[in-house]
Amino acid sequence: MISSSVKFLLNDKLIVINNPDPNQTILNYIRTELKKTGTKEGCSEGGCGACTIVLGELVDNKIIYKAINSCISFVPSLNGKQLLIVEDLVSKDGKLHPVQDAMVKFHGSQCGFCTPGFVMTLFSMFKNNKNLNNELITDSISGNLCRCTGYRPIIDAAKSLDKKNRNDQFSKNNNKVTQLLKKIKPKNIYIKKDDKIYFSPKNIKDLKNIIKKYSNFSFLAGGTDLSLKVTKERKEIPFIIDLKEIKELDFIKVNKNYLEVGASTPLIKFEKEIKKHYPDFYLVLKRYGSIQIRNVGTIGGNIATASPIGDTLPILLSLNAEILIESFNQRKVIPINNFFLDYRKTKLKKNEFIHSIKIPLFKKNIFKAFKISKRFDDDISSVCGSFNFEIDKNKIKEVFIAFGGMAAVPKRAKACEKILKNKPLNLSTFNQAKNYLDKDLSPIGDMRASKEYRLEIAKNLLMKCFVEIDTNKLTRVN
Amino acid sequence: MSKENYINDVRPHDSAYKHVSGYAEYTDDINEPKNTIYGAIGLSKKAHAIIKKIDLSDVKKSEGVISIVTQSDIPGRNDVGPVFDGDPIFPDKKVEFFGQPLFAVAATTTELARKAVLKAKITYKDLNPVITIKDALKKKQFLFKPRKIKKGNPSKKIKNSKNNLKGNFTTGSQEHFYLEGQAAFVIPKEDDNFLVYSSTQHPSETQQLIAKMFDQKSNSINVEVRRIGGGFGGKETNFMTACICALLAKKTGQPVKLRLDRDDDIILTGKRHEFLSEYEVGFNDEGIIEGLKINLSSNCGMSPDLSAAINERALLHIDNAYYISDIEVTNNLCKTNIPTSTAFRGFGGNQGMMAIENVIDNISRYLKIDPIQVRKKNFYQKDKKNVTHYGMTIEDNVINEIFKNLENKSNYKKRYSDIKKFNEKNKFKKKGIAITPVKFGISFTTIHLNQAGALVHIYTDGSVYLNHGGIEMGQGTHTKIAQLVANSLGLPYNLVHISSTNTAKVPNTSASAASSTTDLNGAAALNAVAKIKLNLEKFIKKKYKIYNQEAIYKDQYIIFGNRQFEFKTIIQEAYLNRISLSSSGFYSTPKINFDKKKFRGRPFYYFCYGAAVSEVTIDTLTGENILERVDILHDAGKPINPALELGQIEGGFVQGQGWLTIEELNWKSNGQITTFSPSTYKIPAVSDIPKKFNVEIFKEGINKEKVVNKAKTTGEPPLMLAMSVFYAIKDAVASVGNYQFAPELNAPATPERILMSVNKIKNKIKN
Repeated sequence: MISSSVKFLLNDKLIVINNPDPNQTILNYIRTELKKTGTKEGCSEGGCGACTIVLGELVDNKIIYKAINSCISFVPSLNGKQLLIVEDLVSKDGKLHPVQDAMVKFHGSQCGFCTPGFVMTLFSMFKNNKNLNNELITDSISGNLCRCTGYRPIIDAAKSLDKKNRNDQFSKNNNKVTQLLKKIKPKNIYIKKDDKIYFSPKNIKDLKNIIKKYSNFSFLAGGTDLSLKVTKERKEIPFIIDLKEIKELDFIKVNKNYLEVGASTPLIKFEKEIKKHYPDFYLVLKRYGSIQIRNVGTIGGNIATASPIGDTLPILLSLNAEILIESFNQRKVIPINNFFLDYRKTKLKKNEFIHSIKIPLFKKNIFKAFKISKRFDDDISSVCGSFNFEIDKNKIKEVFIAFGGMAAVPKRAKACEKILKNKPLNLSTFNQAKNYLDKDLSPIGDMRASKEYRLEIAKNLLMKCFVEIDTNKLTRVN
Repeated sequence: MSKENYINDVRPHDSAYKHVSGYAEYTDDINEPKNTIYGAIGLSKKAHAIIKKIDLSDVKKSEGVISIVTQSDIPGRNDVGPVFDGDPIFPDKKVEFFGQPLFAVAATTTELARKAVLKAKITYKDLNPVITIKDALKKKQFLFKPRKIKKGNPSKKIKNSKNNLKGNFTTGSQEHFYLEGQAAFVIPKEDDNFLVYSSTQHPSETQQLIAKMFDQKSNSINVEVRRIGGGFGGKETNFMTACICALLAKKTGQPVKLRLDRDDDIILTGKRHEFLSEYEVGFNDEGIIEGLKINLSSNCGMSPDLSAAINERALLHIDNAYYISDIEVTNNLCKTNIPTSTAFRGFGGNQGMMAIENVIDNISRYLKIDPIQVRKKNFYQKDKKNVTHYGMTIEDNVINEIFKNLENKSNYKKRYSDIKKFNEKNKFKKKGIAITPVKFGISFTTIHLNQAGALVHIYTDGSVYLNHGGIEMGQGTHTKIAQLVANSLGLPYNLVHISSTNTAKVPNTSASAASSTTDLNGAAALNAVAKIKLNLEKFIKKKYKIYNQEAIYKDQYIIFGNRQFEFKTIIQEAYLNRISLSSSGFYSTPKINFDKKKFRGRPFYYFCYGAAVSEVTIDTLTGENILERVDILHDAGKPINPALELGQIEGGFVQGQGWLTIEELNWKSNGQITTFSPSTYKIPAVSDIPKKFNVEIFKEGINKEKVVNKAKTTGEPPLMLAMSVFYAIKDAVASVGNYQFAPELNAPATPERILMSVNKIKNKIKN
């Protein structure tokens, strides 16, 4: 079953777009075709949150409200979803939604330009969560920039929602929308518009059929990187294969020895599971990007993009993760330590896709990961360091260390590891080992951090590990 | 105004409902006529070069392109410089910064226009760009002659002082990052008239510049602004977008919308001036400054723009809240090949204040005494030590009271000693604390700008239509002025309708800037109301034979002693009796004068005061840091709407915090900016704000001058409260060397800078 039209609900109204331009952003569609101007363009790269919309999605018969950046999402990804924009939150009689009302009461808007984005992010938080604590509130709005208020009134508005009745017009409309969403359950989509092709398969079998036939496509997962080609470089992506709708690639399996995560699993889902096993991995993911980014960004996408500053990569390197790769007729497993070849170059061939990632669960090891950036929220790492120690009787039995932001690829620090291995766990071992990072790493200086700073941080993070292991106390400020 | 009549009325921003529901209209949201086309600007890829050839043939052929404009399409003045020439719309021969507009395109959609401009083939002959202050100083590239302000004999005083220090210090540039980028929408009308919507803080200048560009009269251009999505000074000049949009509209005869995308906005518009201060100071053992010589060099970018006034304000604020008996200030206005540096909240004042706070901090560290003591010792006093270096007697000084009050309220003393104990116990995490004062002068230092106009109509149903020259950019000026008008007429707030700022309604306005929008325009609106009231009262008195009674406007009644008239009814009656119910209003600030040449006079109508205590924790292994707690006490006089003032105070603080901590701009040596989007330029996000944030408005505050409601503005002054964050970080760094060395730390104190500063101290300990 193949369709060339995108079907979605605009609040509770069915909209069918026949053969849309697969490179058109949802933001552009909302502003120029729906002619609704409440949703704002702030940056066109998912970095300010002014364009935030909410997508309602059926998960186990329940509607989950996901805040996403409409400026870096393409129209076909609306398929099968409920689109909610800021105007939809006002009830038909002109009454503000409790979230909007709180923003008014607490003086959460000044110039007002960022406000619709905040309202939408807070709305999704309000709908998806029963208890709104400070951590949740901060995390929820970490991807929304406000230049006027200094955020305090917005936080207060959010806090006031904790006790508010969740029974809003959307709850009242829940059954109707659920039924409608079931009706428009996505089919395979194939769009050919001018010279652009978009294909969104529902299962791996259909995916394999298409990659067997073609080779000049780009895979789209969260699109938080790929879409910038359109919105920033002003180029076209002529052939997109969207992996998001393949449910077989969206899973997490855990057994005694490892955790396996499907390549299209959104980070927001993955972080909840990984928190149980590697709390530091979770903390890095929180700083990886905003909720809007983590709602769509996938772990497979992070790996395939292979950016030297992809924050999951050094962590996966130090955890000796394995990547399961498939093509139309093959399956293979590549250790992530052999995966990255050069700047944004990997062993992944054109007609292959990442199926899943297997992350070993080192139950006895001490695992630490740090992300250092100029800003805590939604920033790109100056350095991301990940450390995996097996310690036995005060001796370092095994150690895996990897860094992001320190070379053209995310990289293991093998010279340093060699010095540490089989040595006693003490200050002099670490002092000696840290100097070997000069050999392992070759950072560049750019607008985020100088070469010297990066190298120094890498060394200090190693020392931080020692201090934290030695004293059994965390030494972090945040 | 009697005491009980001060408005103190918390109410939401007039547009709050529309903000949260998406119905607040910004320039790009305005509904377009069918034949509207969309613009994009073609930018220079060189920072300094001779243009050899611009080949636009591929641009012309690009999909959707309808028209192209270049400098040859400009019939009149090819410059958007507001005071001085130097900002060509499209340069004729020479490119002076990376990203300078060279041509523009109109196409059927914004996307197609943006794609088209990338297809230009431009050949350049490279010239050497000058990017930094250092380079410009070396090459003596200045926009204006250096200035020198002198009071007393600082050289002699420094020589004779017991203690001397020399040093230098820089504060960084800052991108405005208003959430709504530059945008304009121009609709051609009959008789070569143009209706211009623009996201600007300065509609009158927009009007005049477009008129000059077209070689037409100002009366053919009408500029309208309902609201803008943040300005912060970044839309005070920056007239490029509106002018280019108008040029495209004129050439095509079609409505044109032009909206810069974020990258282009940051690349081509000016930012805050980076400053370098080099000082020499003499002081006694208590830290009292006896003589100060200081040179301020700023990076002004490629043209004068507002740099003369900004650098003047820096000179005027080099004292912050301190009395300096003997002082010499000189400056260099450096010309470089970056976009012209421009207005930004604080307008040079903040850079001057950071320079003196650095001196004070270093004096304290040299004497090894708590900086709070040195600050207090140097403060201006009420009856003596109350004349500034430009000869103005300070009559409204409350800094001593505010400081004392805040010191107690924030429990500063105990926390100061607790922090020392914490630092002795902790090797890697260090805490720091600092309290800093703010004294900020209010008025445009260019005296003629201190004027405003308003227009008030009362319709026959008793509803009021309010228009004034100020721009609503989030600060709530419309709300506050409507509150003033409603209060003055004794009407409920919702009977006053606030309307878009429009050059056809109120002419010759000044920019909404210098923190004085509500002061000036509010007074003009009240002046208009007063004139209408006069008409009304004359009519009522005559008709109802009332003598020598003063009218009171209250609860929709006009009351003369025991006679009262319902407002709505009497308005109808007045109309039927042919009484004018409409008036313009005008205001010009009294008392101020300033001789720019002699640098003497009273440039400010009044001063705003405030103080802040910040406490930070830094990680000495990474430089990362947390702002643990901030206490603020700020003088807002008698605030009209305390909620809005609180918003300004908190928001200004966080913006200042960004300026002094994480906001860092970066240019390559070839002049190409590398920080032009939120992925590379980081403004504060929610996790950056203080974990504890106690903000209070100074209850005893009152404006001694006749400002509306006896209020004091909160526009710019709160930004400087964030100085405390920087000096708290410096204090934490100093603890690494057990407070024996003054840390070398420039602003912004990024994690990298903090770590490097920590390392320098560690090296000093080793040696």
